[in-house]
Amino acid sequence: MAGENSQPNRLIAGQRTRLSRTMHDIRYDPVHDEMFVTNPFSRAILVFRGGADGEEPPIRIIQGSNTRLLGADRLDVDPVHNEIYVPNGRNVLVFPREGYGNIAPTRIITGPDLTSDDVGTLAVDPVNNVFVTARDIVREGQSNFSRLLIYDRTANGETNPLRIIAGPKTEIFRINQLQVYPPKGRILAAMPGAYDMQQPEGVFVGIWNITDNGDVPPRWKIAGPGSTMLKPRGVAINAKDKEILVGDMRMNAVLTYYFPEIF
Amino acid sequence: MSDKRRFGWLCSAILIGLVAAAAWVLLSGDAARVNWDRAARAALRQPTGEAQLVSIAPFPAMQDGEMCEWMPASASMTLAFSLQAGGPAASNEGSSAGMNLPPVRVIRDTYATYSAIAVDLNSNEVLLQDENLFGIKVFDRLADTPPAAQFSEPKRQLVGHNTKLEFNCGLYVDPKTGDIYSVNNDTTDLLVVFPRGAAGDIRPARELETPHGTYGIAVDEDASEMYMTVEHANSIVVYRKMAEGAEKPLREIVGGDTQLEDPHGIAIDAKNQWIFVANHGNVGGRETLGISSRFDPPSITVYPLKGNGNIAPLRIIEGSNTRLNWPAALAIDEGRGELYVANDADDSILVFRVTDTGNAAPTRVIRGPKTQLKNPTGVFVDTKNSEVWASNMGNHRATVYDLQANGDVAPKRVIRSAPAEKVALAIGNPGAVGYDSMREEILVPN
Repeated sequence: MAGENSQPNRLIAGQRTRLSRTMHDIRYDPVHDEMFVTNPFSRAILVFRGGADGEEPPIRIIQGSNTRLLGADRLDVDPVHNEIYVPNGRNVLVFPREGYGNIAPTRIITGPDLTSDDVGTLAVDPVNNVFVTARDIVREGQSNFSRLLIYDRTANGETNPLRIIAGPKTEIFRINQLQVYPPKGRILAAMPGAYDMQQPEGVFVGIWNITDNGDVPPRWKIAGPGSTMLKPRGVAINAKDKEILVGDMRMNAVLTYYFPEIF
Repeated sequence: MSDKRRFGWLCSAILIGLVAAAAWVLLSGDAARVNWDRAARAALRQPTGEAQLVSIAPFPAMQDGEMCEWMPASASMTLAFSLQAGGPAASNEGSSAGMNLPPVRVIRDTYATYSAIAVDLNSNEVLLQDENLFGIKVFDRLADTPPAAQFSEPKRQLVGHNTKLEFNCGLYVDPKTGDIYSVNNDTTDLLVVFPRGAAGDIRPARELETPHGTYGIAVDEDASEMYMTVEHANSIVVYRKMAEGAEKPLREIVGGDTQLEDPHGIAIDAKNQWIFVANHGNVGGRETLGISSRFDPPSITVYPLKGNGNIAPLRIIEGSNTRLNWPAALAIDEGRGELYVANDADDSILVFRVTDTGNAAPTRVIRGPKTQLKNPTGVFVDTKNSEVWASNMGNHRATVYDLQANGDVAPKRVIRSAPAEKVALAIGNPGAVGYDSMREEILVPN
């Protein structure tokens, strides 16, 4: 188990990978053993085989004018229904998981809430058939965008959210990476605080349920000085070991928390 | 019979009883049939049908004086129950279980990793941009870490919250005053300036708001103008050298004709009045201009020093012969007319002629295991001492070579900031994290 000053098992890097020198999401598909990332600078979705290493090129690339991609930072993959979901600013684009090249999205989900929220992050729950979105850049005076929106996974076109988690009790300012844990209907959200502050106050990783609605506090919150996190941007789940993984940008670190409560 | 003798008989009886019970266990071969009730009575403890205090032993003292935190068992709530509308349903929801919960493991690199390098030839010092711990470390120019040493300590360093250094990449040192210019690439969109000799957790002497994603910096000292590349906007912005606050750029090279494609390093050839830019080849597409998103090869584009607006490059160095692979910083030897490239993903320094164009092969390539180059992202040309420096993000080192070095050559000196065998963790600005459940590996995009 990796710890301080561990060496990475694998390093995927270099021109042929088509990766940019900055990435803001990664998703692993355990059913098909594939990894999904975006290259926002070239407006592409890159798919790698799960065991990729070194300067290995992606096995599939979705890119081009037909895709309508605007340089999305984040995405999620639904390995059950074989779809890729991309928060694309004013809409959510859905592509076939095995899509390749300059393809159009199979569904485009829009709506006044998505448009206004400039949706930047997303997670899809293929068991309970919802997806969750949020805005990842919120500045002072924009607290009306500090929220989680829950949509029907099969939505298409102009759509309203099923539920909105918003309000002062949520303590949400903005959300970076989102995850879901379908067996328990959990939503995990990394809340890194104000965008342009190096060490904002009140940062946390919050856990809600997909059934939550309105001004509800997180059911659990990993936070506080004892947690050591300074600016959590990433969150992932290791369900087998009941662990929550947190990527902290200010620490340049990955923190692992044992948190059986949510599993 | 005296009390003493009666007591002795009583002890003997108890002892015999215990021995008999033990013998019965051994001979009968079935411990389950032992009448522990008889044994307990014999030991003077009467069974009551209730729990009995048997003994007391203190918990071992915790190092920090606190008790172990009680961790409740996994939630037993069913999915059906959890899907009921309303507030928290399980008794442990809404608990403070997560508050101040320490991590069980932390993956981080505790050593500096160097994204850029500059040399102050007046003070004879090397300045290294530490993008892992968010600082600038200063060493003597002639420092050379002995192979057996764990690492070299810097003479001084700038580090701490007040410095506003974060994801600091571009670095420039004023050749006359020694002022230190540092570019932040993400979150805090600032250029911060410190005076020569600055140390500790101090505020910058000057700050300039820069576009998001600013990366490289070069300065035209004759005109007192500074040039910076901007990744996200695919542009070059030019400010007064002494600009600060919200001051706007004097000029900006941007647009579809510029062929700026995720620009990184930048260098100025003041002699020929040219700007050189290293591009990673990511084309974001501008459908309104008829430009589609695509991956182009990495390139070096050249512009007139006073260029402005949507101008085409004078020349482009691009193609398989160039060996460019995530080209990062650039530096120029104006006297010899040579361009040096920190070639990140190829672990090399490439040298071109400043007049090269098209699919030109470099005239020299410093590369190989002896060089100790590992993901070099910074390069500095010292024409006074005829040396070229590289800062290596992959192995916590700054390495220096003869200016005319070529091939697999050992560095003249090495400044090492971690144990010799240590390879950098390579986590930088982890904006996300993933988990590969098949391989039980944590995926960290940077």
